[in-house]
Amino acid sequence: MALINLPAFADALLAEFESLGTLRVDTPVIQPAEPFLAMAGEDLRRRIFMTESETGESLCLRPEFTIPVCLRHIEAVTGTPKRYAYLGEVFRQRREGGNEFYQAGIEDLGDTDTAAADARAVGDAMRVVANRLPGRRLNVTLGDQAVFEAVVGACGLPAGWQKRLIHAFGDQKHLQKLLTELAHPRTVGVFGPEVVRLSMDGLLEDEARLVAHIGETMEATGYSTNASRSPEDIARRLKEKMELANTQLDRKTLDQVGAFLALDVPLADAPAALFAFAKKSGLKLDEALVRFDARVAALSKTGADIGAIRYRAAFGRPLDYYTGLVFEVEVDGIQAVLAGGGRFDRLLTLLGAREHIPAVGFSLWLDRIEKAIASEGGAQ
Amino acid sequence: MTITIALPSKGRMKDDASAIFERAGMKIVAVGNDRSYRGRVEGADDVEIAFLSASEISRELGSGSIDFGVTGEDLVREGLANADARVEFCARLGFGHADVVVAVPEIWYDVDTMADLGDVAADFRARHGRRLAIATKYWRLTQNHFSGSHGIQLYRIVESLGATEGAPASGSADIIVDITSTGSTLKANHLKILTDGVILRSEACLVRARKAGHDGDPVVARVIAAVRGVL
Repeated sequence: MALINLPAFADALLAEFESLGTLRVDTPVIQPAEPFLAMAGEDLRRRIFMTESETGESLCLRPEFTIPVCLRHIEAVTGTPKRYAYLGEVFRQRREGGNEFYQAGIEDLGDTDTAAADARAVGDAMRVVANRLPGRRLNVTLGDQAVFEAVVGACGLPAGWQKRLIHAFGDQKHLQKLLTELAHPRTVGVFGPEVVRLSMDGLLEDEARLVAHIGETMEATGYSTNASRSPEDIARRLKEKMELANTQLDRKTLDQVGAFLALDVPLADAPAALFAFAKKSGLKLDEALVRFDARVAALSKTGADIGAIRYRAAFGRPLDYYTGLVFEVEVDGIQAVLAGGGRFDRLLTLLGAREHIPAVGFSLWLDRIEKAIASEGGAQ
Repeated sequence: MTITIALPSKGRMKDDASAIFERAGMKIVAVGNDRSYRGRVEGADDVEIAFLSASEISRELGSGSIDFGVTGEDLVREGLANADARVEFCARLGFGHADVVVAVPEIWYDVDTMADLGDVAADFRARHGRRLAIATKYWRLTQNHFSGSHGIQLYRIVESLGATEGAPASGSADIIVDITSTGSTLKANHLKILTDGVILRSEACLVRARKAGHDGDPVVARVIAAVRGVL
């Protein structure tokens, strides 16, 4: 394989990964496409390079490392905890930059001390970026979906609404739209004429009769393949939806959620700011805040420069396998994320692991780091 | 400069397009016999007519190998990324009406909005072990509507090139994104359109490929003015 475009600092980076106690793994460049599309969603399809095997299986060029590394871990059945490191080419259609570029990173699987593992991921990412760009000031942004989930949970919203909001976390535009809708519920076009008829027939109060009615109608109209949603699924969510439609968020709670999402403070001040928010709003966030504090404390212990980190409450990734910490590392003067990471406790079970495996990791954009090095005049 | 206008090569679309051009004072005559794929405009030597299939017209507009085309807005928006930057919709011609819609089984009493669909999609994997499957030939329009406008990412597209309305009943997909003009095929297949599920209200349009040479070209301006003048 032609490795002429390998970044000059690749060897130093790998040595550093090794000194951090990681196990270097490699994965095939050609991967089954299904896991990537199933995890990241249909949008990814336009951004990856897909092909088909002779037998019709969808294949793609490796668009990232986290999923292949996790799949490899599940297949190898080697037990946890494990810290894997990787460095290799990934292939994605990008608006800027080439379509093939190098990424490196660490995936930390199975450490149940989540505060320490989170801190190590952030600290290691900061350290390896700083070592490539000595003397440059790092700007790290940190977010935590678990705190948002706690805020939404404490507001007393029905489970369906909580799910909607948590699902939209990180997608500012969509989240705003949902909050507006919560404050001013739609009244037109929410329920179809069928539901009005069911209500008049008294079927909405009697779940067993409703399920039977849906089952009969499915039978009569040829929708009983069992491949899709069952009468029970539909009846259950119809009930949930009526609850959702009757929910209206009062001004005070809406302002509280808004105030929370606007929090943007140095990480060192974040525990106090969150505590003050909880006290002022009267929302019970104890458990999430204890965990948040533990992570900040663990970060201080790693020797990472806490002063370079800001906590932004609204910062998240709208992918359903991210569960807590997310972070991004930039340096002064460059408008690009050089390293990004987070906690993805749900990914391994989604990929087929039999037991729950907590996981956190980060990846480095080596081409952007190279550019940043070049921009400071060829040092390093 | 000679400019090329592509018109649909068959069916109602061909007749309706020719009729509009004739009203606009640009009577189209086939070169050679009636079924020829090339034509010209009576009395205008600077305009060539190419008869192409509707989807080819959208592709040729994207590559800029033709100057104008008459085709459905749905095909242009589906076929070209950043359609508005690459082509100009000069006139809506009032025929070939078809809506691109999101339709779900009527029996899904709990789903009447995109927000409902988002809830169902978010839970689908946990309940059914797979993502919500959408049968469609409109990949791009579906993605823009679902993720761009409604923040829904968790679904899979199952490509369907015909009889898409039958996919939910046969179990090959859960819902569909397809075109409909009267809604009768949807109804016959026990499907309903979501209240905010109209992705695009499409009709035949006069579309211009954005080419640098068009600026200040009198022929280009004349064609646009003539067609707009009779609508």
